[in-house]
Amino acid sequence: MSNSRQPLQSAPAASTPLASLRRGADQLFETERRLNAVLDNASVSIFLMDDRQHCIYMNRAAELLTGWTLGEVLARDCPLHDIVHHTYPDGRPFPVAECAIDRAFPENNQERGEEVFVHRNGHFYPVGFTASPIRDDAANIIGTIIEVRDISEEKAAAQRQHLLINELNHRVKNTLATVQSIAAQTFRGQTDQAARAVFDARMVALSTAHNVLVEDNWESASLRSVAERALAPHRLAEIDGNRFRLEGPDTRLHPKVAVTLAMALHELMTNATKYGALSAAAGRVVVTWSLHDREDSRQQLDLRWEELGGPSVAPPTRKGFGSRLIERQLPMEFDGSATITYAPGGVICVLHIPLTPLGWIGQETVKEQAAR
Amino acid sequence: MSSLAGRRVLLVEDESLVAMNVEDMLLNLGCEVVLAMRLDKALAYASSEPFDLAVLDVNLGDARSYPVADLLFARCTPFLFATGYGRQGLEVAYRNVPVLQKPYQTGPLEHLLIHLLTCEVPARKGNLELRVACACQASGCPEGSGSFRADPGR
Repeated sequence: MSNSRQPLQSAPAASTPLASLRRGADQLFETERRLNAVLDNASVSIFLMDDRQHCIYMNRAAELLTGWTLGEVLARDCPLHDIVHHTYPDGRPFPVAECAIDRAFPENNQERGEEVFVHRNGHFYPVGFTASPIRDDAANIIGTIIEVRDISEEKAAAQRQHLLINELNHRVKNTLATVQSIAAQTFRGQTDQAARAVFDARMVALSTAHNVLVEDNWESASLRSVAERALAPHRLAEIDGNRFRLEGPDTRLHPKVAVTLAMALHELMTNATKYGALSAAAGRVVVTWSLHDREDSRQQLDLRWEELGGPSVAPPTRKGFGSRLIERQLPMEFDGSATITYAPGGVICVLHIPLTPLGWIGQETVKEQAAR
Repeated sequence: MSSLAGRRVLLVEDESLVAMNVEDMLLNLGCEVVLAMRLDKALAYASSEPFDLAVLDVNLGDARSYPVADLLFARCTPFLFATGYGRQGLEVAYRNVPVLQKPYQTGPLEHLLIHLLTCEVPARKGNLELRVACACQASGCPEGSGSFRADPGR
């Protein structure tokens, strides 16, 4: 029989037993060639374990990761654990019985975890592993396949990010406090106390909005938290349930939306306390909101602020910071709309805010628009 | 009266509270202000309306204002970038554009805007990627595109 291999598709004499056998061998060879190409080019380390936890195959990435060649590992004839995982990072010996990867067969496919391995040269490195059982025809588990990745860089990146976020939190809070102090020193004796109190309250509102962001690593803020904190009277943790009703589903807000919305709610709250429903003993504020899907696949927040039971309301003679922020800036910033109605029964503010999607937005969108 | 009086300024700034402040500064300088807080709006204004000057916040949240800058270059409208990161924070191709350091202050804002109008722009460095922020130095401007500049009272 010739050693030359024929392409799989062209089996000219498939009817004879010999040709059929040869075709089978060709297929096996081809399959093995492909598998080797996949395994040896994979960047993830792959270990094949038998039922004694001995490694019977490892790919090239696994050899690089551990510092051992497959031949050396086979020659040791012992559990893989004793070669790559034998010592805890604190120096204690690590018996195979305590090993999450090796002590038993995984019960399910793709069981995951993190461990610290020991390189052949003695250094420790963190790894993420995925272990899946290999079964025979009768579904008995006869081995394990383990994928392993070196996660040193991810660990280091996560640690750097943690440090940066701590620094960011510190800087932001500190800068806001510094601005407040500079304002206090600069305008000492030159500004009336009422104006100073308004300024301080706005700084506190801004700072509080940032607190909500800090809680979720600056990625997003809970709408309900933003609303509750903005409406809680200063220095009190909770809002008075008898005077406020907050109703609506929670969602995650983009940091920009969170900050501007918090400031808008602060201005409404301040106005209600000074002139509106909260200036009267029986007055109440009802804040309700809902979310709906827009045609452009974004969500839209529809929020309604309504004051009840307060003194009768007349439209203000001049537009202040609050109404400018809410009626003009907020719609422009988020491509939404906002109206404040000075109804005799109480102020009503209605906001429609398309919510900025969370996470990074690709520049393709921008380029498309620019090319238009 | 300041030479900025009556000038039509495109202001691109994405933070509500900051935008209010800069808008007031420009109004106090006598400018007519058109505010855009989102990239799409800024592009729409810059491509369809004439401006004497523009103030571009570089970082617009999820986008950068460079596409607006490109439109302003094409229309020979002088502009400056406002950024908290200084010139080093700009993409290399845009480093010849005057930079206003944030936070905004009226004095430097006024100074730079007048600078842009009178074209006393410092000599450009030997950057092959020649970008011109000042209309008077621009060669090859589409004819007529800068004609509104002669009409400061607009």
